Amino acid sequence: MAIDLLRRKFLFESAWGFGSLALMDLLNLENRASGSEGTRQDATSGILHHPPRAKRVVQLFMAGAASHIDLFDHKPALEKHHGEPSDFGEKVEAFQNGLGPWMKSPFQFRPYGASGKMLSDAVADLGCCVDDMAFIHNMTGKTGVHSQATYLQATGFQRPGFPGVGSWVSYALGSENENLPAFVVLPDHRGFASNGPKNWGSAFLPTSSQGTTIFPQRERPIRDLFPKSELVTPASHAQGLKLLDKLNRDFATTREGDERLESRLRTYELAAKMQLSAPEALDLSSESAHIMKMYGLDRAGAEYPETINVPEEIEYFGRKCLIARRLLERGVRYVQIWSGNDNSFPRRNWDSHEDLKREHGPLARGMARGASALIQDLKQRGLLDDTIVLWTTEFGRMPSTQGSTGRDHNPHVFTNWLCGGGIRGGMSHGESDQWGFKPLDRENPTQVYDIHATLLYLLGLNHLKLTVRHNGIDRRLTDVHGHVIGEII
Amino acid sequence: MMAKFRLQILIAMLFLCSCGIASSYGLDDDIFLDRVAPILQTRCLECHRTDSAKGDFSLQDATGFFEEGYVERGDSANSHLIELISSQGDHRAEMPKNGAPLAADQIETIQLWIDMGAPWPEGYKFTYDAKAERTLDYNWWSFQKIVKPTAPSLVGSPNRQWVRTPVDAFVLEKLESNGLSPSQEADRRTLIRRLTYDLTGLPPTVAEIEAFERDKSEDAYEQLVDRLLDSPRYGERWARHWLDVVKYADTCGYDKDKLRPNAWPYRDYVIRAFNDDKPYRQFVQEQIAGDVLFPGTEDGVLGLGFIAAGPWDFIGHVEVSESKLDGRIARNLDRDDMVSNTFNSFCSLTVQCARCHDHKFDPITQDHYYGLQAIFAAVDRADRVYAVDPKIELQRDALKHEIANAQKSLAQLNEQINRSGGQALVKLRARIAAVKVDSKKPEFGYHSKVEARQDSQKWVEIELAQATVVKQIVLHGAHDEFNNIGAGFGFPVRFRVEVNGSTIFDQEEVDFPNPQQTPIAIPVSQPLKSVRLVATKLAKRSQDYHLAMAEIELLNARGENIAGTGKVTALDSIEAPIRWRKSNLVDGIWYEPNGATLKELQADVESLVLNLIGKSGVEQKSSLENRISKSRKSLAQLPDGKKVYAAATEFKSQGNFKATQGQPRPVYFLPRGEVAYPGSILKPGIVPLAAGEASVMKIKPGENESVARAKLALWLTDESNPLLWRSVVNRIWHYHFGRGIVDTPNDFGRMGGERSHPELLDWLAATFRDGGESVSAGSFKNIHRLIVTSSVYRQSSSYSGKGMTVDSGNRFLWRMNRRRLSAEEIRDSILHASGLLNLEMGGAGYFLFQLEKTEHSPHYEYHKFDHTDSDSYRRSIYRFIVRSQPDPFMTTLDCADSSQSTPARNETQTPLQSLTMLNSDFSLVMAEKFANRIESETADRSVKIQKVVRRSLGRYPTDLELIMMDDFVQQHGLVNLIRIVFNLSEFVFID
Repeated sequence: MAIDLLRRKFLFESAWGFGSLALMDLLNLENRASGSEGTRQDATSGILHHPPRAKRVVQLFMAGAASHIDLFDHKPALEKHHGEPSDFGEKVEAFQNGLGPWMKSPFQFRPYGASGKMLSDAVADLGCCVDDMAFIHNMTGKTGVHSQATYLQATGFQRPGFPGVGSWVSYALGSENENLPAFVVLPDHRGFASNGPKNWGSAFLPTSSQGTTIFPQRERPIRDLFPKSELVTPASHAQGLKLLDKLNRDFATTREGDERLESRLRTYELAAKMQLSAPEALDLSSESAHIMKMYGLDRAGAEYPETINVPEEIEYFGRKCLIARRLLERGVRYVQIWSGNDNSFPRRNWDSHEDLKREHGPLARGMARGASALIQDLKQRGLLDDTIVLWTTEFGRMPSTQGSTGRDHNPHVFTNWLCGGGIRGGMSHGESDQWGFKPLDRENPTQVYDIHATLLYLLGLNHLKLTVRHNGIDRRLTDVHGHVIGEII
Repeated sequence: MMAKFRLQILIAMLFLCSCGIASSYGLDDDIFLDRVAPILQTRCLECHRTDSAKGDFSLQDATGFFEEGYVERGDSANSHLIELISSQGDHRAEMPKNGAPLAADQIETIQLWIDMGAPWPEGYKFTYDAKAERTLDYNWWSFQKIVKPTAPSLVGSPNRQWVRTPVDAFVLEKLESNGLSPSQEADRRTLIRRLTYDLTGLPPTVAEIEAFERDKSEDAYEQLVDRLLDSPRYGERWARHWLDVVKYADTCGYDKDKLRPNAWPYRDYVIRAFNDDKPYRQFVQEQIAGDVLFPGTEDGVLGLGFIAAGPWDFIGHVEVSESKLDGRIARNLDRDDMVSNTFNSFCSLTVQCARCHDHKFDPITQDHYYGLQAIFAAVDRADRVYAVDPKIELQRDALKHEIANAQKSLAQLNEQINRSGGQALVKLRARIAAVKVDSKKPEFGYHSKVEARQDSQKWVEIELAQATVVKQIVLHGAHDEFNNIGAGFGFPVRFRVEVNGSTIFDQEEVDFPNPQQTPIAIPVSQPLKSVRLVATKLAKRSQDYHLAMAEIELLNARGENIAGTGKVTALDSIEAPIRWRKSNLVDGIWYEPNGATLKELQADVESLVLNLIGKSGVEQKSSLENRISKSRKSLAQLPDGKKVYAAATEFKSQGNFKATQGQPRPVYFLPRGEVAYPGSILKPGIVPLAAGEASVMKIKPGENESVARAKLALWLTDESNPLLWRSVVNRIWHYHFGRGIVDTPNDFGRMGGERSHPELLDWLAATFRDGGESVSAGSFKNIHRLIVTSSVYRQSSSYSGKGMTVDSGNRFLWRMNRRRLSAEEIRDSILHASGLLNLEMGGAGYFLFQLEKTEHSPHYEYHKFDHTDSDSYRRSIYRFIVRSQPDPFMTTLDCADSSQSTPARNETQTPLQSLTMLNSDFSLVMAEKFANRIESETADRSVKIQKVVRRSLGRYPTDLELIMMDDFVQQHGLVNLIRIVFNLSEFVFID
């Protein structure tokens, strides 16, 4: 009992910004079922395991499987052997039928930065950032099926029912600003990727740790933030909240010792604060023309053709990146930006089975412009030091041809990159083989567990200790795997 | 470093040898080999060895053991290892995680060994054989037989009169032994609210509350319990609990998240099972092997919806074949879901932990686990007919045969007429055609582009602005004299009709007789967002093939055609206005032959034909035509089998997703769960629950796959399976009190929670299994009655200083637990208070979203849904549950996630919840409708307010509340008050 009180006191007063709802939920859960289902198992609930390097994360997720060998992983062998029948030296099971001749990238590669990192022209905008970025070229997955692979990268498990990585982080750390959700997701406005919102659901963690989706282009970017009714006015809303508070307070007073009723009062206060904070965070009107241009948002009101095109992709991705920066600045713990929707037609995702240049070109240019602006902007504001930027996708693409201009799935190897938040820049960790077919060192690839372990490490959390008991199993983000990648820190 | 350590060992050894300090060890003893190594071997090595180094720590050899710095040689006080293995006060030792902490003398031995410098014989390495090492330990409460305890007599207890039932006796004994006493009984209003929500998921009406408060009869409470248990609302409430556990949803989940239009019959089956108080044994058996154990019954098939309830990966099954690794992974995970659903739900056993390795804590090996997978090796999730009458199937075959024969004879006869009719006949027919054209409006219909191949696919689709209840789809064939075809021009020979992307009418296997101008009506049983006609075998035009259709009508419940509001799209269209264009498909214009001239001409033809083939020929012809048309009519009237999404071994192939036809797939032992490295093939088996119990089932080679499922069902429900009976009564207890006797309802293993009342659990399990104490064996309703009529359930939920000090978590139930309503209860209560709740039971789920883009990956657009749509005013259990995109309103209120088993709902308070309750379209539309209703009932403002409060909270407002509310309503109107009332803690909490 005494320990409980002390812990509470510490948490509310601690410099990590607790007193957040994540914590309140934590306490509520503990009250309901102390030491059992759904509670953090380590004795240090809410306390960091070690001093953190980073405080927040922005994750860029390329849905549909972005090609490593056409963006970040330069393969001279493909240029040399372009058009020759592909020979992997082993039996290969393609997801569809993409085992045609070797295919060089339709994009040119050039060196950038002091590190001389080779990037394709499709992501040339990131050239100015390479010395801050750490590339991991030996990522390997488990399956070439989009849904399972997306789950794996987004939740650490290849099936539904597990919390998103952002949920784990916000569950463990809460928000730095209780007036905004701890975990915000900016989905591709054209539709959800495989698995939809289950990629950022809280599963068995408290609901407060689920990703809150924001659709900046919608009439109501955040669901239910404001009432859509002419009968509810700002005055009736404000007066109503007062009346509600009074009545709920009376109800709580006659039911002594029920903390849920107390915290319920607080949720309405926080809701009202969120109504002020969230629109401000999404309002780009105070951004200078220079910043708008940097993110590619200087073409207000532009109209776009029906076919996929670069300016449109720049604007859409850039807008999400700029909103992400504003959210991070205001204390949101984890922002996840998605590029690419479901597999409908015409294609608006990275799953370039038919024509790699057609989709990868505009999508990559849009992504690179926004991501580059975000990195530079975070840097100039001093935020890059404690903000991790993580770029990922569900798997890579084959070095051989599918049809005449497409590439099939390659779950064996793909690229991730990280930047900021204690990441050592200007380096590449791990290599793929000469074709970009499998990791060069097949025995020691990097897996999503290692990325997640590293992410948690930088945030001051030990991935082995951040566990929650669920249906009899102490669940971790990293399942039973994961090693912190020391080389990139 | 190593040199330093060696030196220390040397010194320690010298010290030991010269002084003989460790008095209990002789000089010849090796403390490591004799005393320490056996402890490490038996208690640590299972998890900490080279090939399974938990926490990156292996103690298989000296290098691994010392390099992590857990041991400070020569200094046990500063060795972290000792901290890890020692218990401190209430804090259980962290290690070993698996099983009991080390004994005190074992810890001392290790301490001593470390203080001696932790000598490790040069090159010594532990050997470990996972299989051989493993002795399955059944010494755990949940595996023990259930022996029914006697209820405590409580002689001398001051609270003896409190005891109403044996349940109370067990609870009171625990309370008193912990220095606690029960709380007083709650007041009547609290009791009826608690009981009505608990048993039906709805609030009591004001009239019900007042009647109960007035009822002075001695058994008023018992009568109330009986009334509620008899209410059909009971099944709707308790089925929802079960559906949480089994992961029920109306879509598949994963990529694309396709609709499952036939999942709901299982949901309705569960509701019915509760309402009918189906004995639990039968309920379980039907869900595992109802097709075998209850053959010929609908419930025997409907129950199998359980096996199919969880998520299913469309791409992994349909687009990837089983010959590929990804295909096998998908199927392995699919069976894993079936196995874990079965054992988590019925036995509270986490067997799925043994997919990659033997269970770390419970006596379940990987062999056992794959034996379980083998039981499900032949079944897939697919639509399965649950109600066909074999007589009807015979009739169907006979009618098809009849039609085919008659058509053949008629064709011969017509051929004869055409041959002998000559020019006269041709001319007459031409005139008839001309007349027909005259009586026809020029807007013929929709016409696809023509194709050279008959098996080219064509489709045309109508998409409505929003999903709407449609009862019938009616197809009207086109009419065009082109190539003398006329009636039924372009009507597909084979086709299917899809609603919302799922086939509801399948005519792809056999040719469909051209209906000419006869309309074809197809019944619909789900809200319709889109309908697509897919032709898989096209009609012949001249030298080519095509699809044409005059009209598709969509008739609502009132028989009105609403297709005209929809948008028509098609794979292609010749778009040749005015005759042919897509929009003609829904323009309400189609051809129906009539006209006097036509009749005369036809009479001329008839007399000509009479001349040609004689009276007997004409009679034969009309008899044949009659036979065909009668048989067609009868065929159309034969009911199609009703379908449920369930475990199936026979279904129509879809891409690589092919039925096993009952042939089990091979199930391999998979080391580390890796599908790429299969071991030996496993036979179906169960998980032994006691030492010596056999695992592998005795099944004769070549037996039907269902034999294994039947054996599993019988084994599960055997009275000697203690897990089944304990698991279910614990769930019941959990839902009544908010927390189970074991607070991990899905896990009764060593990682599960402790039992608060072990004897009570066994008493309930035995009583539920065997009957007695006014309980019929396996009767849910009887057990509910026993529990809720007990004093423990009737207690007040008020605070007590004593209780809070001794048992703040209320583990011993010194009071009732206050609880927040579940998402469904909140939504249903809002509908109920607003006077809009529609209690219609069963049927396809209603949508709370706009369904878009069904042709590929359906989009479920919740933000576009119009909450004034009264189709959505039914109880929440009947909503259409989307797995990948759960309803945001419900999710925010801690609704179960259908991707995983949810044995206990979370209960959180968050600002997003507040925003949802205040601002969601649903809340606001309800507030407006509620207000309109009240406004129409009275003009008196204070009466209005009283009505709002009474219907929402079941009581009158206090004077002070009335004053405050009146002020508020005066300024902001009734809608705003209702919006606030929905947000009251009193509205969403029950004492």
